Amino acid sequence: MLALVLTLLLVPSQQESDELTRSEELQLAREEKAQHLEPPKRSFMEKGLYEVKERRLVERFQAGFHGFHPLIGGIAKGSGFGIGTSYDITDKLKASAQVSMKGYQKYEVVFATPRFLSDRLFAEVRTTYRNNPEEAFYGLGNDTREETRSHYGLKDRSVAGQAGIRLSKNVKAGVHAGLVDVTVDQGRRSRSPSIGEVFELASLPAFDSQLTYLRTGVFFDIDTRDEPGNPRDGARYVARWNYFRDQNLRLHDFGLFDAEVQHYIPFFHQRRVIALRAKASFTRTADDQSIPFYMLPTLGGSEDLRGFADFRFRDKNLVVVNAEYRWEAFSGLDVALFADAGQVASKVSDFKFRDMNTAAGFGFRFNTEKKVFYRVDVGFSREGARVYLKFGNVF
Amino acid sequence: MKQTLALTILITVMVPSAFAQTFRADDPVWVDNDAAIDVKHIAKHKLNDQYDFMIHAFGKPGDRTPKRAMNVNTLGEVPDSSWFQNRHALRRMSIEELVRGPNSGSGPSMQGPWIVIGAKTEGITPGFRVRDARGDVYFIKFDPPQNPEMATAAEVISTKFFYALGYNVPENYLAFFTRQQLVADRKAVMTDDAGRERPLEEADLDTILKRVHRSQDGEYRAVASRQIYGLPLGPFQYFGTRPDDPNDIFPHEHRRELRGLRVFAAWLNHDDSRAINSLDVLAGVPGRRHVRHYLIDFGSTLGSGSVSAQKPRAGWEYMWEPGSALKRIATLGLWDRNWIQVKYPNLPSVGRFEAEWFDPKSWKPEYPNPAFLNATDEDTYWAAKIVMAFTNDEIRAIVKTGQLSDPAAETYLANTLIARRDKIGQQWLATMNSFDNFAIVEGELEFEHLGSRLDLAREPAYQTQWFAIDVVSETRRPVRKEDFQREAALFLVEVTSAAGTINVHIRERDGDLQIVGIDR
Repeated sequence: MLALVLTLLLVPSQQESDELTRSEELQLAREEKAQHLEPPKRSFMEKGLYEVKERRLVERFQAGFHGFHPLIGGIAKGSGFGIGTSYDITDKLKASAQVSMKGYQKYEVVFATPRFLSDRLFAEVRTTYRNNPEEAFYGLGNDTREETRSHYGLKDRSVAGQAGIRLSKNVKAGVHAGLVDVTVDQGRRSRSPSIGEVFELASLPAFDSQLTYLRTGVFFDIDTRDEPGNPRDGARYVARWNYFRDQNLRLHDFGLFDAEVQHYIPFFHQRRVIALRAKASFTRTADDQSIPFYMLPTLGGSEDLRGFADFRFRDKNLVVVNAEYRWEAFSGLDVALFADAGQVASKVSDFKFRDMNTAAGFGFRFNTEKKVFYRVDVGFSREGARVYLKFGNVF
Repeated sequence: MKQTLALTILITVMVPSAFAQTFRADDPVWVDNDAAIDVKHIAKHKLNDQYDFMIHAFGKPGDRTPKRAMNVNTLGEVPDSSWFQNRHALRRMSIEELVRGPNSGSGPSMQGPWIVIGAKTEGITPGFRVRDARGDVYFIKFDPPQNPEMATAAEVISTKFFYALGYNVPENYLAFFTRQQLVADRKAVMTDDAGRERPLEEADLDTILKRVHRSQDGEYRAVASRQIYGLPLGPFQYFGTRPDDPNDIFPHEHRRELRGLRVFAAWLNHDDSRAINSLDVLAGVPGRRHVRHYLIDFGSTLGSGSVSAQKPRAGWEYMWEPGSALKRIATLGLWDRNWIQVKYPNLPSVGRFEAEWFDPKSWKPEYPNPAFLNATDEDTYWAAKIVMAFTNDEIRAIVKTGQLSDPAAETYLANTLIARRDKIGQQWLATMNSFDNFAIVEGELEFEHLGSRLDLAREPAYQTQWFAIDVVSETRRPVRKEDFQREAALFLVEVTSAAGTINVHIRERDGDLQIVGIDR
């Protein structure tokens, strides 16, 4: 065969009658190939990817095994990397258990009926146990020092119900009520000192008390975001009012009002987005009541004031604003520049613009169109730089 | 390795450049009989789309050596084969033929219920597989809820264009039906969101239909894609050859119709023109079986991105371009490509499709395609010539088959295709040597300047020189045009202008003159 090929190649053009026709040549080439057929082969990498897809391993992993689903992250702020599992007892009843590298634990059972009465009504009941052995505490107020970092342990058990109505596609409102039983202690041994080593425990409201609260409240939520997991357009307005009634001592009743506004301004086909958020928490107490320090609003960390530590500031009232400029580097990665400013105060009248704690930084958001699944934020503040590796979006 | 070398040499010999001046008795070949060898054993071979993305985005598969397309005949045209049939460009189709496209009937029968024999709920594109009263099987695909008519119109319109362009495509019909038309087959299984197979239930059909657009009178609009006749073997790659198909001898990245597909894909914004949207099918009967090669799934064409309007990036940039990504990061997003500024009309049934910013030369699919990247000026000229064969009326007639209910959308879509066609002509016909349509008429060589005929460019001044060829000594000598028939059996005519030279070989056989070679 090769001789024939070389002959064809080397011998100059000849009379047509002496040559094979073009069609005959093509036929020869095909007959030659027919002698050496072999099945298509896959490389090692292709085999791996092929098996993952054909066996639907990702979907099966997400769907869980015999009702068990993996949980990664999402225990609590400051808990460190956490893993766990949830279990579908029925399609409406789920149980979960999570632990973190820092020893945080969370166990929960949720009964949810997300849709009934033509999707207009929704309700859920959940009971939760949390053990947070290393909650950071820097003292109360906006002018605490970083050096006073200490920690305490917090355990709470709660049972709570929520019911609501979807007033329209983007608007829902509802009520919630529940009991929460909270105890705090000096926490476990850690690199940071225990709370009692830094602060006078007697000065901290309700440190030595085990409290049971009856919590009642209402909420109102307008959500016009295009994709809640990775919003590029729309807005969200949330308001919640909660009243915590101390069932044991009647000394620590308080009301808590939370409000949050998010706004997303897209341009250039949503490949650029200005994301804005303002958040405030205000508490109210009667003159003879005090709020346990561990129930106070907190500020700082990966979710609101990047560049500062988690729980860096704590007081009765809180305001924080965030602005982000996000731009797409390529499909799958957005980059962000952000600026955060926030403040806590014991009285609303104490809020001063000049007392704002400010931070700025940049971040990388690994995403799909629908969801930010991982982010790396680097925040800079007067207290240095901090890197946050988090599952999920900031807002 | 030796066998591969031998085959490569042989193919090189079979398809010489015209400079070699070697013409065979049957040149120019208009039919490549690549169904000649019976395919006795061939395996289904599914492709992993993530792997396909990775090897193309991060690697360089296939042969990228610059060379002429290997499967063209001596006129530079593509012979009919299991890949490609010369249709509208060479044998003009009537409006009726263009509108009918590949369709052999009127779509799934409405005389009885459609038995749903398969369903897909996982992923972002829900759909069904149904068997109609005639026993024909169809894949049912829908529009996204926010863009009624968009994906189905794009699929139907593009199917007809690709058919007329010359490719094998499935029969795609627009279908309108209500929920009552569907009945779940008791034996049918489906894959749920968790990737588990289980019996298909009526409730599953309701779940799927909730995710698609429904008209106010409760009707669903869908594309019914008729199952292609034959045994599906999996997609073809845009590089290499199929090792178990004896008839597949030309590396795909060197096939003219796959290289030229880049131009057609740019015209129709088929950014999803990758292996996963192709299909090899074993056709024929035992003893005479061969592989036919199809383009399938045109949901992501024109302004449609299948599940939403086409992404603004589509056609402008690969999914992964490290240079662009780094520039955006480094400049805080101040740098970007033009696509970021493109404005689209608010036409939900069209999606994102426009002509003003369209640049056919810089158009890109989702990720690099070896055949597209190998396209030479000859390949793009060949394809542009076919695109320019579509008249305004023909384009409007094909667009009409999309049955867009908004007349403004239909007009916009047709006008955009016409404008994009003209840009393609401007790009590849006006800037290249477009003397073409060479023919011997009453013993005279006739030709025309395509660029000027299509009002794309002025006809340049040119001159012709005639040579007699001695095929034995491979020498040529000038002859007078008037005398050329008396001088030899093979002649060369050089058509020279400022745009370059085109060599036209003319053969005399039994007193007849035949154009046997064109080299531009």
